[in-house]
Amino acid sequence: MIWYVSIGLAVLLALSVPVGAALFILGFGLDAFFSPMPLMRGLGQMVYSSSDSFLLIAIPLFVLLGEILVRAGIAERTYATLDTWFSWLPGGLVHANIGTATMFSATSGSSVATAATVATVAMPQARKQGYDQRLFAGAIAAGGALGILLPPSINLIVYGFLTQTSVPQLFMAGIVPGLLMALGFMIITAILCSIKPEWGGPSRSFTWAERMAGLPHLIPVLMVFAIIIGSIYTGWATPTEAAAIGVVMALGIAAFYGAVTWTNMRAALLGTIRTTSMVMFVIVGAYFLNFALGATGLNRALSGFLEGLGLGPYGMLLMIVLMYILLGFFIETLALMIATIPIVVPIVIGLGFDKVWFGILLIVLIEMALITPPVGLNLYVVQGARKEGRLSDVMLGAIPFVFVMLVMVGLLIAFPSIALLFAPA
Amino acid sequence: MTGSDRLASRVMTLVNGLRTANRWIALLCGMVLVGAVVLIIIEVLGRQFPALHLGGADELSGYIMAAIATWGFSYALVERAHVRIDLVHARLPVGGRAVMDVIAMASVLLVAILVASYAYDVLAKSVARGSRSNTPLGIPLWMPQIIWFGGWVWLTLTSGLLLAATVILSLLRRWDMVEQIASIPVETGEVQ
Repeated sequence: MIWYVSIGLAVLLALSVPVGAALFILGFGLDAFFSPMPLMRGLGQMVYSSSDSFLLIAIPLFVLLGEILVRAGIAERTYATLDTWFSWLPGGLVHANIGTATMFSATSGSSVATAATVATVAMPQARKQGYDQRLFAGAIAAGGALGILLPPSINLIVYGFLTQTSVPQLFMAGIVPGLLMALGFMIITAILCSIKPEWGGPSRSFTWAERMAGLPHLIPVLMVFAIIIGSIYTGWATPTEAAAIGVVMALGIAAFYGAVTWTNMRAALLGTIRTTSMVMFVIVGAYFLNFALGATGLNRALSGFLEGLGLGPYGMLLMIVLMYILLGFFIETLALMIATIPIVVPIVIGLGFDKVWFGILLIVLIEMALITPPVGLNLYVVQGARKEGRLSDVMLGAIPFVFVMLVMVGLLIAFPSIALLFAPA
Repeated sequence: MTGSDRLASRVMTLVNGLRTANRWIALLCGMVLVGAVVLIIIEVLGRQFPALHLGGADELSGYIMAAIATWGFSYALVERAHVRIDLVHARLPVGGRAVMDVIAMASVLLVAILVASYAYDVLAKSVARGSRSNTPLGIPLWMPQIIWFGGWVWLTLTSGLLLAATVILSLLRRWDMVEQIASIPVETGEVQ
């Protein structure tokens, strides 16, 4: 049965069946071949209860918030400001890429959206100022990946929903690792560009007057972040309520910059529905498969099998980490995450690890998958915005940042408190 | 114009009509989502100003989520936005890609038919029992459920028509049209 599920999933995905449909079909197969009771009778109710959710509506709301801010030109203004603050460092503008991606991650729940936004703003600058584009583009792909670790995060909402973990706790747990990783990205950039100045570009200095003049442009993003996180942390609002407040604030900001036009709003709403439906199709499929796996006892069989290997908790954890790194090379990340949660998380919990902590570890692994070839969505997105050169440039440029992520995985395992500091159980 | 040209262009007209219809539906879904924002904000404000207190925003937002996600499935389908893995797909010649596109579309149709038929049972049970939500609002459950069920029926219809179109155009060897309807878009910055 374990083989049926793993091989079945691999075959369906290789056939390029949409991931959501593949998960449903696996569930149908479990019912037909392995289940002692007819699971299909639960199909309607399962699908309904996974769609009718006050928690999941946070997903379209956070997507909408990001869509509105993009159209308000927030990214351009943030980028110009961070350029004046960071461009004196070895590596110059590369730091502004990382900084802008970090700021944008704090209002966006999606890594792909973050990478796409920053790439559109930053890549023309790389051309204009004669940067070596490899590290430059790699930094955008990696910085964009932070979108799902720094709250708000669509992936953390999905993880919380599927594993019944508190989303506020997950959000809080993502902050320190997210900021540490951003810092790590900047440090490795500075080190590399000190050794090989030609990998970066010209360092430029700005006057303090220029730097201060840009600061007001950072206020909107910081304010949205502070209110979303503050209201969730103090328990004043649920993630969904915080998202709705964020949407209203984003609208206010867009209005301030004169960006509330019919064309913009129409595009923002359509983009939101498209992304939401794409994500939800996979979630609903995973929810049904989750139910089918539980009902046929596969979860227990798998846990028993793994315990029988006698690897011990950390040996098992290492296997799981390696499996994600390996699968991450080939499988689209949201699909990877959602399809494996029903199988992997019960095992990890059974080994005695913390659910919130594992959520964060999983997200870092997923981020790595986003920037490792051959299938790394952020690499494609950045290349798409570059409109020149080869994809392999972006892949090469991302390698130093993959290294930082690996270090983060090690740190999280060695010091779980990095994630759990602000998220007491 | 040969007979097959005429057939191909008729198929494309139908698909374009389907696209337009789904775009309007998606826009409507977006506006309903904005309605949810308003409801939630009133609820939040209602905690400070009891005069504004209505209650039930969480329940209604859940229904809205079920409605917009389900009706949006078809929009994502015509926009080719559903996640597919192109590891093998990208390495095949056009004909092979078209076969995979047909399989992918057929799999969505299969799922839509099965879910829609079992969704009907859920709806029928709610109607037969006169079930109401177990909340102060006490909403008859058939109301949100019929909208949700409709979304799955609409997905059945949309994926069925797209499957027929993909098969016909593949048989006519109009690979460019097959690609426009059912293939995996090349990743660009416009994905999301």
